[in-house]
Amino acid sequence: MFEIKPTLNALMRSKLGAVLLILQLAITLAIVSNAVSIIQDRLTYLNQDTGYPETAIFKFNSLNFDKQLDRLQQVELDEQQLRNVDGVIAAAAVSSVPLTGSGSSDGVQLKPMPQESKRVNMGYVTGDEHMLRALGATLAEGRDFTEDDVVVSDGDGRLPSVIIVSRAVTDALFGPSKGLGETVYWGTNPLTIVGIVDTMANQWPKSSFGENTALIPVIRAGNFQKFIVRTAPEERAQVMRQIEELMLASHRERVISDITGLDQKKARYDARDVLMMRMLMTLIVVLVIVTALGIFGLSTFNISKRTKQIGTRRALGARKSAIVRYFVVENALICTMGLMLGAAAAVLLGQQLMQWYSVPALGYSFIAVTAGLLLLMSLLSVLMPALRAANISPSIATRSV
Amino acid sequence: MLDMKAISKVYQTDMVQTHALRDFNLHVAEREFVAVTGPSGSGKTTFLNIAGMLEPFSGGQYCLDGVDIGKLNDNARADLRNQKIGFIFQGFNLIPDLNLYENVEVPLRYRGIKSAERKRRVEECLELVGLAGRAKHLPQQLSGGQQQRVAIARALAGRPRFLLADEPTGNLDSLMARQVMELLEQINREGATIVMVTHDPELARRAPRNIQIVDGRVTDFTLYQGRSMDTAMAAGG
Repeated sequence: MFEIKPTLNALMRSKLGAVLLILQLAITLAIVSNAVSIIQDRLTYLNQDTGYPETAIFKFNSLNFDKQLDRLQQVELDEQQLRNVDGVIAAAAVSSVPLTGSGSSDGVQLKPMPQESKRVNMGYVTGDEHMLRALGATLAEGRDFTEDDVVVSDGDGRLPSVIIVSRAVTDALFGPSKGLGETVYWGTNPLTIVGIVDTMANQWPKSSFGENTALIPVIRAGNFQKFIVRTAPEERAQVMRQIEELMLASHRERVISDITGLDQKKARYDARDVLMMRMLMTLIVVLVIVTALGIFGLSTFNISKRTKQIGTRRALGARKSAIVRYFVVENALICTMGLMLGAAAAVLLGQQLMQWYSVPALGYSFIAVTAGLLLLMSLLSVLMPALRAANISPSIATRSV
Repeated sequence: MLDMKAISKVYQTDMVQTHALRDFNLHVAEREFVAVTGPSGSGKTTFLNIAGMLEPFSGGQYCLDGVDIGKLNDNARADLRNQKIGFIFQGFNLIPDLNLYENVEVPLRYRGIKSAERKRRVEECLELVGLAGRAKHLPQQLSGGQQQRVAIARALAGRPRFLLADEPTGNLDSLMARQVMELLEQINREGATIVMVTHDPELARRAPRNIQIVDGRVTDFTLYQGRSMDTAMAAGG
């Protein structure tokens, strides 16, 4: 019924067009399945919960150039003023801002340095007891910092004694559902884990340790100070507009800069990923269109080349449906060969990409789904020329064309 | 076997109507061998196309083996072509990508005949035309005469009762043409009805009955080899 054997034999006898299409399909499958896998990975990352209400938070910088200024006092004054603004829920001076690609990273371990012990890399943010609220992160276990926990760097020589970490840090150090109340060492300094936040991304969320975050209650008042402010989402814009004036009103000898929403900061940090995704999507669309046009073109060419043959087949008793079936089967055979070759190429390409660019391993389901969609696209591409072929009159068989 | 009454065929373009056949009447009896001649443009090919259900007619009635063709849809016409008619074309019309075996097998596949039966019939028909040993060859590896013999084998494979031959020797030299003609005569003796369109008066004279088409009408007929006038009258219309 499907004339597979004679169709296959005929293909083997005039193979150039078919071979080119097989190669095109194979290349398309190899590239598209890997591109889709990368896009899927990036999309998963982009849609991942960071643990922060990004649209409710903004940050800004204050660069003081008044050498006489009591910086610590000014920071406290600034924080107080920020908290008094209508719509502000919390505000804190911090060492760095999560999700921005800039900040400090270090490790904590189970034993003090230089002893060898299990160690976890993490991004950390220092600030006062308002830091966690300003970030909008939710404690799953334990408590927030208190005023007594906070130490001033280069102040009275006290070192911090407590730490709040993300669940990823305690899981890595102590295993699941453990860690609260345990002691970790930041260099030689022991820190008790007083709070655990389930989800809290650090400054480099797409790095291998992007979920390992620590908050440490240390105030480092410098000339250059970063602030984070959390508001109700709908009031953020209005509060952001007031910031520069408000800050300058309390102390003019400084520059307020980079008043930016946390979502915008993350968007900038992710800009390359978004650009890469767009480029890959464009590549996929172009490849799929070119392949569809290739199939359409080859089918159209085959049909115009075989007009007499189609008429003869009709004269010999082929129904229109048999002609459509012939071209669809022929295309399906070419497609199957192309997709089998493409599947192998996709696996090899995936392995190479994994080695060269640290992309995640290509799942076989991506190859299968892409191959299925390419097969569908290929059948749709051949359908129109095949229907046109079926309408060739059998009387063409007796004409000299 | 074939009965055409007042058949007409009009080709219509924006500006012109061309009457290829008009008031065309013809009866071909079972087991007849009829040669159809006529000048170029007289309507021979149109007649052949309508007789073979390759194109529709504009008016009149055409019955093939008792079936009113005008009432059939496209699928039914394709099935009837496949079951009752064998075509032999001037240009052989073999499918170049298929070998001889696969070419002869084509109409049998459309009929849904099982593989073993197809094999038996294809081998039998290739044997009949003397090309059994070349079943795996491609058409382009054969001479014109051999290709036409393959086309005859293909026409015969479905065991049709009605063979339509369009200038079957038109592309062959005289020796090949004679061989093909002898084969057709043999097939006719074995029971098939044959209608052969030809330009060649020499060839036409070998057919027991001649019909001439001029300006889309059957205008003359000649009987050879002692067929009765009654049959001829009935046939010529």
